[in-house]
Amino acid sequence: MIALPYLRSLCIAARQFGAHLVEWIHKVQGARERYQARFDTRQARGLKLLREWLSPEQRTEFDAKGYFDVVGCDSGKRYRIHHGATTNVHEIGDNGLPLVGWCFLPEGPLVAGDVMLAQKIALETYEYSALAVANRFPTEFSRRDLPLNFAPT
Amino acid sequence: MATQIVMDHTGDTRHHFDANDREAVARAEERFRKLTGAGFTAAVRTATGDAALTRSFDPTAEETLFFPRLIGG
Repeated sequence: MIALPYLRSLCIAARQFGAHLVEWIHKVQGARERYQARFDTRQARGLKLLREWLSPEQRTEFDAKGYFDVVGCDSGKRYRIHHGATTNVHEIGDNGLPLVGWCFLPEGPLVAGDVMLAQKIALETYEYSALAVANRFPTEFSRRDLPLNFAPT
Repeated sequence: MATQIVMDHTGDTRHHFDANDREAVARAEERFRKLTGAGFTAAVRTATGDAALTRSFDPTAEETLFFPRLIGG
């Protein structure tokens, strides 16, 4: 008999807690969606800028294949820049196959499009200086399994 | 209108200025000095569409792109 009011209070408290929990979950979901929308916008801006600076041939290749080739200004070697921000640059051999990977990127939290554009300009205008700061990696360590979005923006 | 494009966490920030406006050009030149002084690389597009590095402010450049210094990944 004494426990009944307590039980009722407990039910009310549990219901209120549940309502607060649902409200909190909705807030978190909303914040997550807003963050994702901002992230998508930033990614799209980066890809738009990249496409503006690619040559017509590079743009066509990137849209079709998700990568584009550049020629190093110092060595004349060919490099393939894949969509991504790390481990995405491969030196291409005469047989058209990747020889070695070069990992370098601009400092700071930049989106993939910006990183690829900086890599392109660096290889096309100061190749050896760019490679001097880069780390080499075997091409099989590349992370080509990342989700891609090549849609023109 | 000339444009200075600075890569940043938002994707990029664009600063437009009128190359005939002396004050705007002075502000753009100051921005160029600050960014390159902070280690940013400045690049312009040539008439053929190729990218070229630039180490001095060119008020006639239609677009100047700035990106942070490169590091090994």
